[in-house]
Amino acid sequence: MTQKFISSVPIILLLSLTTVCLFGQQFPGKPKITRCRSLEKDTFSCWWKPGPDGGLPTNYTLFYSKDSEETVYECPDYRTSGPNSCYFDKTYTNHRTTYNITVMATNEFGSNSSDPQYVDVTCIVQPDSPVDLSLEMTTSAGVTDLWAKWSPPPLAENSSNWHVYHYELRFKPEEEEKWETVSVGVQTQYKVMNLNAGLKYGVQVRCMLDCGEWSGWSPERQIQIPSGQSPPEKPTIIKCRSPEKETFTCWWKPGSDGGHPTNYTLLYSKEGEEQIYECPDYRTAGPNSCYFDKKHTSFWTIYNITVKATNKMGSNTSDPHYVDVTYIVQPDAPVNVTLELKKPINRKPYLVLTWFPPPLADVRSGWLTLEYELRLKPEEGEEWETIFVGQQTQYKMFSLNPGKKYIVQIHCKPDHHGSWSEWSSEKYIQIPSDYRVKDMIVWIIVGVLSSLICLIMSWTMVLKGYRMIAFILPPVPGPKIKGIDTHLLETGKSEELLSALGCHGFPPTSDCEELLIEYLEVEDSEDQQLQQSHPSKNTRLASKETDSDSGRGSCDSPSLLPEKGRESRTLPSKLPSQDVREVHENNAGSGWETQCVASSEDRALPFNIAGTKSSTWPAANIHPSTFAYHSTVDAPKITLSTTNVNVAAVLVGNEEKHQNYSNSEMFYYLFKSMGIFLTQQR
Amino acid sequence: RARGRPQERGSPAGAAALWLLWLVSRAAARAACPPGDTGCRLLSVSDLFDRVIRHSGRIHAELEKHFPPRGNELGRPARKCHTSRMATPKGKELAQNLPREELTHLILKLLQAWKEPLSHFNQHIEHHQELSDDSLSKAKQISNMVHELKTGVEKVTEKMQSMGIISNSLNGMASSEAAGLSISNEANLMSDSDFIHCFRRDSNKVQSYLKILKCRIMPENSC
Repeated sequence: MTQKFISSVPIILLLSLTTVCLFGQQFPGKPKITRCRSLEKDTFSCWWKPGPDGGLPTNYTLFYSKDSEETVYECPDYRTSGPNSCYFDKTYTNHRTTYNITVMATNEFGSNSSDPQYVDVTCIVQPDSPVDLSLEMTTSAGVTDLWAKWSPPPLAENSSNWHVYHYELRFKPEEEEKWETVSVGVQTQYKVMNLNAGLKYGVQVRCMLDCGEWSGWSPERQIQIPSGQSPPEKPTIIKCRSPEKETFTCWWKPGSDGGHPTNYTLLYSKEGEEQIYECPDYRTAGPNSCYFDKKHTSFWTIYNITVKATNKMGSNTSDPHYVDVTYIVQPDAPVNVTLELKKPINRKPYLVLTWFPPPLADVRSGWLTLEYELRLKPEEGEEWETIFVGQQTQYKMFSLNPGKKYIVQIHCKPDHHGSWSEWSSEKYIQIPSDYRVKDMIVWIIVGVLSSLICLIMSWTMVLKGYRMIAFILPPVPGPKIKGIDTHLLETGKSEELLSALGCHGFPPTSDCEELLIEYLEVEDSEDQQLQQSHPSKNTRLASKETDSDSGRGSCDSPSLLPEKGRESRTLPSKLPSQDVREVHENNAGSGWETQCVASSEDRALPFNIAGTKSSTWPAANIHPSTFAYHSTVDAPKITLSTTNVNVAAVLVGNEEKHQNYSNSEMFYYLFKSMGIFLTQQR
Repeated sequence: RARGRPQERGSPAGAAALWLLWLVSRAAARAACPPGDTGCRLLSVSDLFDRVIRHSGRIHAELEKHFPPRGNELGRPARKCHTSRMATPKGKELAQNLPREELTHLILKLLQAWKEPLSHFNQHIEHHQELSDDSLSKAKQISNMVHELKTGVEKVTEKMQSMGIISNSLNGMASSEAAGLSISNEANLMSDSDFIHCFRRDSNKVQSYLKILKCRIMPENSC
């Protein structure tokens, strides 16, 4: 049953199709892209053939995408190339991409699209022609060849290089019509053969990509093939040289020979004479040269030399060359360069370099005087060091590095006129290294001794390191205040601290304040003046006058003067010597000499800052900056200036504010800062 | 390049000339050499010769430095130097074959021939605007040096004659003076560049002849 059903399906489809066709309602047939071609340079068009549309109006749209991108674009121009076409202008051809093109036919019933067509723009579009075509005649061994060279057309941006150009060359004589075309392959040069002499030829090249079309022909280049029927070209005289100031030679360069064997003759005349002579010797110095021997060489005379080239068709003469032999001397290089190492006693060895003038130069007669110059460089070095030696034929070298290898060369020149010779052949010098047994022994002993010393030192360090360190760098003693436990300070428990000091309770009670104030009684007559300026608080003080040394220790020496004013700070340095001694006795080198002798009476703790300067504790007002001043100045031994600043910072501030600080508050802050200081020091 | 030619360095020609004169006169007047000691006297002549040769080298160097040859100089034909008519040997063998006296005389003749033209040239170029002030002073300096050189060569000649190295020929200074005067007039007609060219050539000749003479007489020292 199913088989029958299956076999009947196509029949059913066919029936339905025919009914649809009969009724004329159908969607369009599939269009077909017929071709894509480039009609003009840098543009291309694609044409398609519409499919059967059943008479219904059908719209055709062309879609394309580039390379393997997803974006689909629509045809930019449907009109230019005619019906059923799409025109891509040069903006599309620049990119050397591959387009994937499809055409879709749409009508009211639906749409149908063609098979995709892949178009490689590079293959479609005609390339540019090759550029820079040049023609060159080369003559070698009597054979003349014409070489044509060119460059491929310049590539546009974003072009890929996997396309290879093939070239074709064509040439013809000027007068003829027919071109002779040669396939060149992928080379960019070609030797054109079988050219007739005497004719003018034109040459062109064109190129093609492996998948595309031929480019246009490049502009024509023309060249005249020299015929064998012309006189030779003018020769040129290259130079004249004398190696020993007795003879000289001149060389010339021939021009082209015009196709026939050419004969060259050198003619000369001397200054003041009319007669013209011919070269005495063409052979000795080689081809295209003339050798003047001693008999024919005159000095302090200007020669007028010319070279004539003659062949069957005619002759041509070079430009005259004037030469005075005195000025053209170029000697040969010096010879027999020898080195000798001299080792004088008690002095460093040095090298003596000796050489001989070139064999031909006659220095003995004084006719030719040579000056020498030598150059030197270490074997691996880049730059030569040039040393002018003068007329002597030896040179002593002192300052060479032992153990290194040097290269040395010498050349010479006549003393007044002339040119330098070639450099002599390279001479290698090996400086013997300055190795002396005695020196080595000394160094070995020194090395051993120093290593021994190092060992001993490290051993002692290990064993008794700590003690040594203590010896060298004694530890800094911390502040010692009787009755103060430094640990308490660190922990910052003010109550305990202050209780230890005898100040009960914080904030300080009036009791404490009284104590402090009492303690700050001033005793000198000077102070009385000050008391007058601070009447408010110090009235009580005036009454009490106590002895400075009554067990209160150095904390309240009579030199503790209240401040007179903020601006004028006179730092009295009249510490009673006794107190000073006391001060210094108890503390060993500490900046902050804080000591408080707990007396039976009072337990206040004014601080005495060490040094010759004393601190001033005005009864009522302590200027914070004063304190700051002291602390920063009088604590040289402690380098924790930050600490001092902290202390000062606590105190320094608005002046007015600090006016209202009471003493006990000051102490409190002091203790606090001390704690900070101690913790910092640890 | 490390070049250290003592001749080219700064010794002002005036000081050098004076020094040369002093030395020459001292050497000539010196009785330090015991009579009869030919070795000693020969050495002093060689010394003199060296100094004279060095002096001529200095003239050359000054000339090269301040009046260098321009490229097209050789190209100009038919340059006639006023000393061209003098029969000077134009090669090594020719110079060596001349007798010593003749060679010495020739040197003196050449130097004499330039005395007048040089002073005239100095006067002439003072009115010339093209040459710089430096060139003016240099030209004067060079002509002084030539004069010193001539004096030096005369002294050497005297010394040689006194020692019998060369004979006291009749062609003494007098005839050289006379010969010099007659040809120096031609020099006034030359152009400046020709003048310098001729002078360069003749100073080179003088130096070469001096060297040949010296090495003939005293071949041992630095020849």
